[in-house]
Amino acid sequence: MIQFKSVTKKFPTGNTVLDSVSFHIHPGEFVVITGTSGAGKTTLARLMIKDIAPSSGEITIDGEDIAKTKPKHLHALRRKVSVIFQDYKIIPDKTVAENISLALQIANFPPEKIKDRVEHLLNLVNITEKENLFPSQLSGGELQRAAIARAIASEPVILFADEPTGNLDSQTASGIIKLLQKINSTRTTVVIATHNQDFVNLASQHLHLEKGKITSSIPKNKENNKERTKKSDKKDV
Amino acid sequence: MFKTALKNIRRSPYQALSAIFVLSLNLFVIAIFILVSLTTQIILTHFETKPQIIAYLQDDVTQDRVNQLINSLNLTNEVKEVKFVSKDEALKIYKQSVGNDPLLLGTVTDLGEVTADILPASLEVSVKSNQSFDTVAEVLEKAEIVSTTPQNKKEIDYPRDVIDELARWTRAIRTGGLILVFILTLTSITTIATIISLKISSRRVEINTMKLIGAKGWFILKPYLYEVGLYSLIASVISWLITFIVLLYSTPFLANRLSGIITLPVPPLTLFGLYLVLLAFSFILALFSGIFASIRFLRR
Repeated sequence: MIQFKSVTKKFPTGNTVLDSVSFHIHPGEFVVITGTSGAGKTTLARLMIKDIAPSSGEITIDGEDIAKTKPKHLHALRRKVSVIFQDYKIIPDKTVAENISLALQIANFPPEKIKDRVEHLLNLVNITEKENLFPSQLSGGELQRAAIARAIASEPVILFADEPTGNLDSQTASGIIKLLQKINSTRTTVVIATHNQDFVNLASQHLHLEKGKITSSIPKNKENNKERTKKSDKKDV
Repeated sequence: MFKTALKNIRRSPYQALSAIFVLSLNLFVIAIFILVSLTTQIILTHFETKPQIIAYLQDDVTQDRVNQLINSLNLTNEVKEVKFVSKDEALKIYKQSVGNDPLLLGTVTDLGEVTADILPASLEVSVKSNQSFDTVAEVLEKAEIVSTTPQNKKEIDYPRDVIDELARWTRAIRTGGLILVFILTLTSITTIATIISLKISSRRVEINTMKLIGAKGWFILKPYLYEVGLYSLIASVISWLITFIVLLYSTPFLANRLSGIITLPVPPLTLFGLYLVLLAFSFILALFSGIFASIRFLRR
């Protein structure tokens, strides 16, 4: 599903954020990437959607080397790999419903089905009553939920959540993680980048970034997750 | 998408107004240029189809002597056509050209009504080329049957000079008009492109987000293209209406001066055609400007 082979990313400032990083994420996995702030977690997300290019190495998504993806086909990659950004990137002058609706329009969702789909997603992330509010009127947790709803609107194959609980209290953070697990239960591959070690035990694979290097560890519940990935039925999210 | 385009216009109405104003001015000048070009071309064609030399004949001339002169002219091999216009035909032409004006027809003056007797018969000569002109003129100058003025000059008209002058004016109007249209078109393109660039630039964060969530360039571009499409639609209507009003007010003035050359008022079909030309031109111009402005940003 996602394969990084000896990927190095050096920025023009000379800072090497990733140094020959390799890992493999299988379909339907729930992966947690940990690392301190500035360890390169966001860089990983940006590399996956080809927002930036690696200095060297190969990134394969769903069997395709994304280096070969032409700019005019980038949209397809970005619909496949959906990112929940650390700063949410919710468009400020659109309401919550309009933001989600925009993602559906971008994904060429049938216009007559958009309204129902938006309602369904708002219900799923539990912010139905906030649909007509603007981002500035929402709390951090609500913004995160709106960002999740928008990210999963077009049914991506991979969902990358960059610090989804970064600015939230523990109760709200727990709710968000449960929501991401729920999304993962529909066979959507979920990758969470976080500095919070509390979520490691939930992962089917744990990747740790430190000083540009990555280490993969065998999670405790790997077997459970294997069981889960064998389920072939994809639930509607 | 139209809603987004309208929202964009509402957000910055002065930018939209300036784009529409410049585009309307551009289209108005184009409309006037088209109308003036067509008019001068029709006037030129009108005069070109007229004989290039007209020699007025003495009153007592016989048909035989006229035929002799026609033969002499044909023998030069420089003549395309020679037409004899009798006194009666001259009267008919005169009546056609003055219409029903009783003053010019002499029906209300002490001089009495204009009759064929007071009008001279003439020979209307069309020459093969400009080089033939002097040869033919020489034959006519020598012909005894061509009448003379009290100053002993042969009564020969040379409308060719008028045509040459008219052709020069037509060329000058076309060149000047094209230069003006070119300058205004460049102004319109840069104005619209600048406005769209500003709009895109102010929404760069939103556009980047849309790109990151998988929007195609075309999806991002569409509202801006709809917006410039609206500009062009409004500008074409405004410029056409102004042109129509100008035409409406100038028709009585022009009808008097162009009588017999152009039929006024301008037919509705021509006006409709003019609107279609303005609309097509403004659409192409606006779309070009819009795409030119947005492509730069989308490539980043």
